[in-house]
Amino acid sequence: MKRNHTKRSVVAVAVASALLGLGACETTPDSSALLEQARGAVTQAEANPNVTKYAPTELDRARKLLVNAESSAKEKGANDKIAAHYAYLTTQMARIAEQRAQEQSAMARIKAGETERQQILLSAREHEANQAVAQAQAAQADAQQLRSQATQAQAEAQRLAAQLENVQASQTSRGLVLTLDDVLFDTGKAQLKPGAQRSIDQIAAFLNENPDRRVQVEGFTDSRGADDYNLELSQSRADAVAMAIIKRGIDAQRVRALGYGEQFPVASNTNDGSRQLNRRVEIIVSNGDAAIPSRAAGAP
Amino acid sequence: MITVNGIRNAFWCAIAFGIVACASAPPPVDKLAVAKSSIERAEQAQAAQFAQVELNSARNKLAAAQAAADKHDADVAARLADQADVDAQLAESTARAKQQEQLVTEMDASLRDLRNETLRDNSGSAAPQPSAQPVPQQP
Repeated sequence: MKRNHTKRSVVAVAVASALLGLGACETTPDSSALLEQARGAVTQAEANPNVTKYAPTELDRARKLLVNAESSAKEKGANDKIAAHYAYLTTQMARIAEQRAQEQSAMARIKAGETERQQILLSAREHEANQAVAQAQAAQADAQQLRSQATQAQAEAQRLAAQLENVQASQTSRGLVLTLDDVLFDTGKAQLKPGAQRSIDQIAAFLNENPDRRVQVEGFTDSRGADDYNLELSQSRADAVAMAIIKRGIDAQRVRALGYGEQFPVASNTNDGSRQLNRRVEIIVSNGDAAIPSRAAGAP
Repeated sequence: MITVNGIRNAFWCAIAFGIVACASAPPPVDKLAVAKSSIERAEQAQAAQFAQVELNSARNKLAAAQAAADKHDADVAARLADQADVDAQLAESTARAKQQEQLVTEMDASLRDLRNETLRDNSGSAAPQPSAQPVPQQP
């Protein structure tokens, strides 16, 4: 009985040991199928031009692993587990080569795309620059034309000024200023003397020839007398000149009259000579159809 | 007839067979370490997101390799560790490839937009686009 028991336990241990031995080894794989798969994977990787270009090292490893698998299968038979093992490694390494090649070729495309982006931006900037140059040239041409027009206008105005008698002409930033002497008026009167008629004729003729131009007539006195009186007298004299121009067929819209009294003296008012310079009527002729700038602060 | 001697012989045979099968070589510490670091590299390359199957295979095989090493199955442990290593490498390279492909797709789209934009700017300066007129709000 005891012997029988011992015998049974010995058998159990033997079986367990045998099972342990078998369990430690993997189940015998079908290495021929794995080998077939490995050959296919290597062939596929070799056919991929990106692999030969970007992952030659991995492809080389896969080939060497395949050689190991083949020789192991040859040596120990198709069902050898070592052959199966190398076949598996071969397949995975061939796949690694393909993935690596795909990664590298994607990186190359990104690099090329970056270059293309730079080129697009560059050509866009060049286009903008060309446009800017064209615009600048057009603006320059416009400015040139405006300058020549202004020069022409100034020349015409100078010609007018040269024709006028009893009139001093000067080009200012406000336009051409024609200054009529006080000799055109009697003292304290706002009536134009006959001698003024010829100058008015010429100014009206000029305005007829240049229908886009406007005039502003401004009257001034010296500092003697009351301010109110001087203001009224200067306004009346400016009005008289303006009326004389309008009577010669110039649209009233183009003629404006302003009296400034003793403001804006051009001389000191300390002697007869300087006072005479201050008693005056100025006619400002616009540059083309531009508005005539008003006098500085203090002007009504 | 099973004799005690026969049983004893069978016992020693089984032990010997187990020892041979398990091989008495030292555990493949190097290979296990290599596989482990390959798995870590794959994880850093976001393989969990882009190559889950390959990464799982690598992890499972490393665990099996470790278990085999614990049972002193050095050969099996070495092979499993090697397989875990290539699985992890495949997981890493697959994840990297997929991410680069994603970048290529994004770049293609942005290049297409850029080309359209500059094309419009270059040809559209002469013909201004209809500006959005404010529509009077109806109460």
